[in-house]
Amino acid sequence: MKKVLFLAIKDLKVLLSNKGNIFWVFGFPALFALLFGAIYSDAGKEPSGIKIAIVDEDKSEFSNSYISKLESEEALKISRAGRDEAIEQVRKGQIAAAVVLKKGFGDGFEAMFNSDEPKLEIAADPSRKMEGGYLQGLLAKAQFEALGDKFSDRKGLRSQIDLWRNDVKDSNDLDSKQATLYSNFFDSFDTLVKDVNDKNFNKGFKGNMLNFTKLDVSKEYNGPITPFQITFPQALLWGILGCTATFAISIVKERTHGTFERLRVGPIGLAHILGGKGLACFITCCLIICALYICAKTIFKMPLGSLLLFVLAILCTLLCFVGLMMFICTLGRTEQSVGGAGWALIMIMAMFGGGMVPLAFMPSWLLPFSHVSPVKWGILALEGAIWRNFSLTEMMTPCLILLAIGTAAFLLGVFSLRRQEQ
Amino acid sequence: MIKADNLKKRYGKTVALDGVSFEVQKGETFGLLGPNGAGKTTTIRLLCGLLKPDSGTVTLDGKTNPTLVEVRLSLGMVPQTLAIYEELSAEQNLYFFGRIYGLSGQRLKESVSNCLEIAGLTQRSKERVSKYSGGMKRRLNMVCSLLHEPPLLLLDEPTVGVDPQSRNSIFDTIEAMKKQGRTILYTTHYMEEAERICDRVAILDYGKILDMDSVSNLIDKHGGFSHMEAEFEKSPSDLDKIRQLIGSSNIQFEETKVKFETPRPMESLALLNRNGIHLKSLKIQSANLEDVFLNLTGRRLRD
Ligand SMILES: Nc1ncnc2c1ncn2[C@@H]1O[C@H](COP(=O)(O)OP(=O)(O)OP(=O)(O)O)[C@@H](O)[C@H]1O
Ligand SMILES: [Mg+2]
Repeated sequence: MKKVLFLAIKDLKVLLSNKGNIFWVFGFPALFALLFGAIYSDAGKEPSGIKIAIVDEDKSEFSNSYISKLESEEALKISRAGRDEAIEQVRKGQIAAAVVLKKGFGDGFEAMFNSDEPKLEIAADPSRKMEGGYLQGLLAKAQFEALGDKFSDRKGLRSQIDLWRNDVKDSNDLDSKQATLYSNFFDSFDTLVKDVNDKNFNKGFKGNMLNFTKLDVSKEYNGPITPFQITFPQALLWGILGCTATFAISIVKERTHGTFERLRVGPIGLAHILGGKGLACFITCCLIICALYICAKTIFKMPLGSLLLFVLAILCTLLCFVGLMMFICTLGRTEQSVGGAGWALIMIMAMFGGGMVPLAFMPSWLLPFSHVSPVKWGILALEGAIWRNFSLTEMMTPCLILLAIGTAAFLLGVFSLRRQEQ
Repeated sequence: MIKADNLKKRYGKTVALDGVSFEVQKGETFGLLGPNGAGKTTTIRLLCGLLKPDSGTVTLDGKTNPTLVEVRLSLGMVPQTLAIYEELSAEQNLYFFGRIYGLSGQRLKESVSNCLEIAGLTQRSKERVSKYSGGMKRRLNMVCSLLHEPPLLLLDEPTVGVDPQSRNSIFDTIEAMKKQGRTILYTTHYMEEAERICDRVAILDYGKILDMDSVSNLIDKHGGFSHMEAEFEKSPSDLDKIRQLIGSSNIQFEETKVKFETPRPMESLALLNRNGIHLKSLKIQSANLEDVFLNLTGRRLRD
């Protein structure tokens, strides 16, 4: 056991003696985290300054109030335009969407929710899906707010109730019993709106209406709290991947330079030598993770869901990649071939596993491929501990998969190493 | 101490060893002499258990499994490739390998400084190996195998590509080891090296041992005649008489010079002298292992 430690210490000394190694192992993941943290910093925040054009064909009091609600929205930059002009601007990519308020938009309550003939049309740029989805949320919010304004005025609400009452009277497909039920309800509703005191009216109608809209919009954005939380697991994975490649190459280097042979002639077994490499890889990864973690905590003030689960996730991920290191080092007989094949494998794993682009932004047809990438499971486990609030049982899935991949790769690597020795 | 019995090894289609057998006695220095690709390194790998033979057995110190820890501890192998960490210093290399061999404390310290002394690297022990010259690296490569003072040494071409100075230092070390009574197996394709340090030499070619014996016996058996080149005081008048006296068929005359081969150079000279033929100068080149190899294979050791 002591000899494994000597081997690992020797590997760390060799690693630290090379400035290039230090950069790839320590600097690269940190750079990655910073760079991608900056790129994706918008992903966690609400988008801002989305340019849209409003085509007001309704020109009613309600549509006016609706537009002014939108204009007060910080995330949007509103311009007014004619229908053709607005759609042309979307086509040219100058604005994210055109919103058309058709005639009848303000004609009472049902006009808005009548799905047979929508009075609101959106022409969104297909390449800006994210913003489009967000925009729909904002439009709904403005609608509820404008509606809230309308109903905050007793007169407005009562005239709406009048409309509904007339609707019930005119309706042909309601039997008389049902019609009486509805008109009784609207009668007492009208009385309530007329006689309720101001305090209760404001609390009951205005407030609730707005609270409801706020909840509706914010529901879509309860993901990571800071952008660094998304990129932190990725940065860790890149650190681990760089380490995996570096040590896989160092095993081959020992083989081509004869030091492996010298060790094999010594009074130690193959298990010692590989154990030493594994331990060195493990220790280096831990150092990287600690460095990145301290960075994340101090500079980016990144919150951490559960330290215990985080350690568990790290442990499983490291064991997996130490196993992969054993496999990668058998992919070739020279440093160049292992470096090439190893990095190619790592790139593919990273690409499909969400190490480059978060899986949330990956096209859906690619997602099934990600299941075979240990990078995905590593990131998932880390995210589970950092911000997904996984329970211990939920953690088990990625952790067990990681351990399984690691064990399989390790056995495969040792097997082919033994074969190559003969 | 070392016994190889009918070792055979092939790599795919290449036959590297084709039935190699030899025995090295305790305290003996045994040389494996052969050109590139003869199978020297393969033999060493089989001896120390890095490779398994396709057939045949290896016995080291009475044990047939060279991978046993006790056998490993009594074995020092100097690989042909430079098996040292270039990123570390000589001292760090030695400390590391010493620890792997289970040395520690004072013993390790003494061993390391002793080895640095032998390699002549004490002054530069803290420098990175990558800054060393080729000869320095070779010397370090050798002493890394001597740390645990193994009674059995396998040296695979420890002098390839070094300057004469480093080579002499390496020879001094090997001769010192020899004096300490260690058993040494030495491979080389330099016949002078084999002549200088080996008690017995095996000539290896294409994975087969052509013959093995002491250097002088090999030369006697396969070396052929000594080459003589003599210059007469004046041009001899009777060439046929000289031919008769020397009794060699392979004789060439060139004005006042004569070149010939003879099994007994001194006797030939005495005969000429007695017959009143006086020489101005004389060059004798006695047969060496190069001739042995040439006569055994029809090729030179190095082309
Ligand atoms: N790993 C290998 N794979 C395939 N062939 C090999 C391998 N190692 C050696 N050989 C072949 O086996 C034969 C003997 O090689 P070996 O290395 O034992 O020769 P050598 O006597 O040490 O030569 P040199 O003086 O060049 O070191 C050669 O023909 C070589 O090409
Ligand atoms: Mg060789």
